[in-house]
Amino acid sequence: MLPTSLAEAVEALGTSPAAVPVAGGTDLMEAVNAGRLRPAALLGLGRITELRGWRYEDGGTAVLGAGLTLARMDRPDFAALIPALADAARTAGPPQTRNVGTLGGNIATAAPTGDTLPVLTALEAQVTLAGVGGTRDVPVSHLLTGLDPIRPGELLTWVRVPLLHAPQVFLKATGRSGPARATASVALVLDPARRGVRCAVGAVAPVPLRPLEAEAWVAGCIDWSARGEEGATPIDPAAAAAFGEYVATACVPDGYGADAASGLPPQGPTAAALALRRTVAVLARRALGRALK
Amino acid sequence: MTDQLDRPAESTPAPAYGLGNSPLRTDALPKALGIYPYAADLWAEGLLWGAVLRSPHPHARIVSIDTSAALAIPGVHAVVTAADLPAQPVDGGTAPPSDRGAERPVLAADVVRHHGEPVAAVAADHPDTARLAAASILVEYQLLEPLTDPEQAFNGPALHPNGNLLRHLPLRHGDQEAVGEVVVEGLYQVGRQDPAPIGTEAGLAVPRPDGGVELHLSSTDPHGDRDRVAARLGLEPDRVRLVVTGVPGATADREELSFQVVLALLALRSGRPVKMVLTREESFQAHGGRRPALLRYRHHADAQGTLVKVEAQILLDGGAYADVSAEVLGAATAFAVGPYVCPNVAVDAWAVRTNNPPAGRMRGEGALQSCFAHESQMDLLAARLGLDPLEIRRRNAMTTGDSLPTGQAVTCPAPVGTLLEALDEVPLPALPLDDPDTPWLLPGGPGGAGDPAAVRRGIGYSVGMVHMLGAEGADEVSTATVRVSGDHATVICAAVDAGQGFATLARQIVQSVLGVSEVYVAPVDSDQSIAGPSARGRHTWVSGGAVEKAALMVRHQLLQPIAADFGMSVELLSIADGKITSYDGVLGMPVTEALEGKELWATAQCRPHPTEPLDEAGQGDAFVSIAFCAMRAVVDVDIELGAVRVVDVTVAQDVGRALNPGQIEDRIEAAVAHGVGAALLEDLRTTAGVPHDLSLTGYRLPTSLDTPEVRIATLVEERDVVATFGAKAVSAVPAVVAPAAVAAAVRAATNLPIGRLPIPPQDAVAG
Repeated sequence: MLPTSLAEAVEALGTSPAAVPVAGGTDLMEAVNAGRLRPAALLGLGRITELRGWRYEDGGTAVLGAGLTLARMDRPDFAALIPALADAARTAGPPQTRNVGTLGGNIATAAPTGDTLPVLTALEAQVTLAGVGGTRDVPVSHLLTGLDPIRPGELLTWVRVPLLHAPQVFLKATGRSGPARATASVALVLDPARRGVRCAVGAVAPVPLRPLEAEAWVAGCIDWSARGEEGATPIDPAAAAAFGEYVATACVPDGYGADAASGLPPQGPTAAALALRRTVAVLARRALGRALK
Repeated sequence: MTDQLDRPAESTPAPAYGLGNSPLRTDALPKALGIYPYAADLWAEGLLWGAVLRSPHPHARIVSIDTSAALAIPGVHAVVTAADLPAQPVDGGTAPPSDRGAERPVLAADVVRHHGEPVAAVAADHPDTARLAAASILVEYQLLEPLTDPEQAFNGPALHPNGNLLRHLPLRHGDQEAVGEVVVEGLYQVGRQDPAPIGTEAGLAVPRPDGGVELHLSSTDPHGDRDRVAARLGLEPDRVRLVVTGVPGATADREELSFQVVLALLALRSGRPVKMVLTREESFQAHGGRRPALLRYRHHADAQGTLVKVEAQILLDGGAYADVSAEVLGAATAFAVGPYVCPNVAVDAWAVRTNNPPAGRMRGEGALQSCFAHESQMDLLAARLGLDPLEIRRRNAMTTGDSLPTGQAVTCPAPVGTLLEALDEVPLPALPLDDPDTPWLLPGGPGGAGDPAAVRRGIGYSVGMVHMLGAEGADEVSTATVRVSGDHATVICAAVDAGQGFATLARQIVQSVLGVSEVYVAPVDSDQSIAGPSARGRHTWVSGGAVEKAALMVRHQLLQPIAADFGMSVELLSIADGKITSYDGVLGMPVTEALEGKELWATAQCRPHPTEPLDEAGQGDAFVSIAFCAMRAVVDVDIELGAVRVVDVTVAQDVGRALNPGQIEDRIEAAVAHGVGAALLEDLRTTAGVPHDLSLTGYRLPTSLDTPEVRIATLVEERDVVATFGAKAVSAVPAVVAPAAVAAAVRAATNLPIGRLPIPPQDAVAG
């Protein structure tokens, strides 16, 4: 099935809910080709041009089409709008993948290492799901955690991202220079209007994690009036480092990487947990530093 | 399209040919355009597709195999198990030592000894049907405890009737009681690098009317593979014909034996052509990788840093079957000290059997593991004595005439000191901090998390060696035929060009000897005379030697009648650009005229001098010749995240004679990339014998962003008098040396011990 309009696609999906929508296919087709997945039918979204762009909505929200490619998100006009999402898209893979891989695909696949997911979580984005019966908006975190999943016959159409007009950073550690899956990633956005910091850690758990207490604590440590002034230090370096540790401890449990089969109660954090915490702490500290620079 | 391709060729001058020049590979353009055919592109009318069922367990007893469900699937034409093959002696029996993998069953009969071991195979009319049918074969396993720690192999239960010890080599050289004033110790670990060829295993088998089979494979050892397949199938070798197709990447051996035999067996059973292409996951399971190693070293030196004694224990994990572990262990032991003079050496080396993934032959296998350890030790010693890393290497460097710990005198050129000097003369790359305008690719890559404030630069050196040709008494021989007719010559030699450039070299040799610019190299099949495997850097020497001899014989046939006509000896005539000229330039004649429409041809053989096996004390003249390489690596390390980027690698290499400098530089670059992969990225990790992620996302190969700028400081051309043209093999030794150089540089940047390869990021986190 190759619908050319959104309405057509929603209707097609309504009549055959077992069909799997496919956009870039970088995850899906690989699984199909390897024989791990045999969908009853495929719903190709490539011809729905309206989903490939974005528009503005009143109240400072950008509405991004689910078919927006990662490569398109890396372009300067988009990067000026939502810098962290552009950063995530840029590091999401080699050019071949980014040219066809889409924002909607990244959300629907919901891989733990999906690079746009921590950014969307930190931005508290909403996802619009369209079905024959109408559309509904779901917070991206509810969708990812399975609190409010995509229902049969629903198509992920738009992603609504609040525009904050403030620095935002996405950092990822991979252990190599070429494109790779993240071992850990951190998205951090400033919300100066509300004097808030929002942070999400990716790749360390099945879904991005929000260290809410650390966010609230660090927001109180920032000298918001000094931000952006020449030579000012909006945050004490020691507080930034402590924020990193706070985030890491909140997001990486003691038993990370422990052999569950051994049955032994964890004796303090494992070596793997300590190594990962160190990485997350460095990423969070650097992200905060770059956002406040 | 042809027009477009031809045009640039007209505007550029005719490329120089012959030895010492760098002509392009003839298959370079088709490969770049994507029209070069590989085995996966083959097709035959009415072909069936093969699929293999592999063991999901690293160690289990097969209780029963029920193939009835697979046979009942429409479209399935053949299902085979071990019962369909002639019985093989389980211990490998009386197979010749050249039969690598003699004890490896084609399909597991009673016990599976590693994850992914083939158990049964299917031929069906569609690849999906074949895979489905393979998956529907019911195998009842009785799980056995896997033995995955090589240190447990000595006392653990025997995994095979041949025992768990594949080889033990106790090398003793010099005074065992000697003690040095300074002693440094280290423990080193090397991971499991996989060859990960860019094209997975693929092939086509066509049954022949005489009951034999024709195999189209990307083999790198056509005659060896033919003989092994025939033996496993119980056929005479002449009933199996092997045609070599394009080889999509090979580090030495390629298609594993089981794949070839199963393909042939399915074709014989179904009476139809059978094609099989492995998936990436199967490919990782099928071929053997590098042997993980555990190396314990103790170096003794005097106060000036001169080596007094080296003690080492080397343990190689050979995987489930012996394969070439014995040969690899020989190299690891003989080169345990590195290219240094050391009067007293004690090495105990073992290769053991485990239930881990199989091991095969990689570039510089054995030597690479030792090189990481001995070079790390030299750096430790330098640090202890407060010496410069280059200086300690200079003080101990080997030269021609010095002896290896095996007692063998190094008679070939050993310009280790010259190589080190050359490295020192190349300026270091600029530090981007000094020049803010230069783009700086931080560790972690573009758009990564790198922070210049946390980046430290490190510089490391290493020197290493590998042997060329088969060692320890292996019979090395190659045969080639050269034919001249009209204005062109043809080379027929069964040496497979797996990308290393032998076909180009063969053309250059004939061009130089016969003065003919048009030289064709015939495709390889097993009907030609034996040339041996494309491994251990042997074809430049043995097959190059055979081509040269044959070309010289043709030249003699061509010139003798003319020399008689002119009344001068053959030596006074020369051939260039298709023209025969006398020494004084007075008399001349085109080659085509001299041939008088005849065709001249000759066949010749090259067999280097023999070697001997290492004895029970590890002594003996085991190697024909040795190549050396020195390297300097410059790395940037993000010391908070442990991310490493190799910025620059400078190479000084002993090449004997540069027969094709362009090709040599390419080979060095490729080998450095391979070595950087071993140093930082490539490791096929397992838990209890089961590999983690058998994909190219999980198994990280170096990309262009991970590979450094490679600079050649010098190619030292000191001719090896016994080698063909005095040239040495170039492909393996930079891969052996690079991991040690990168590790040394990371050590310099972080002040951390760095005892594991590939270096895990957490090992490079300082402070």
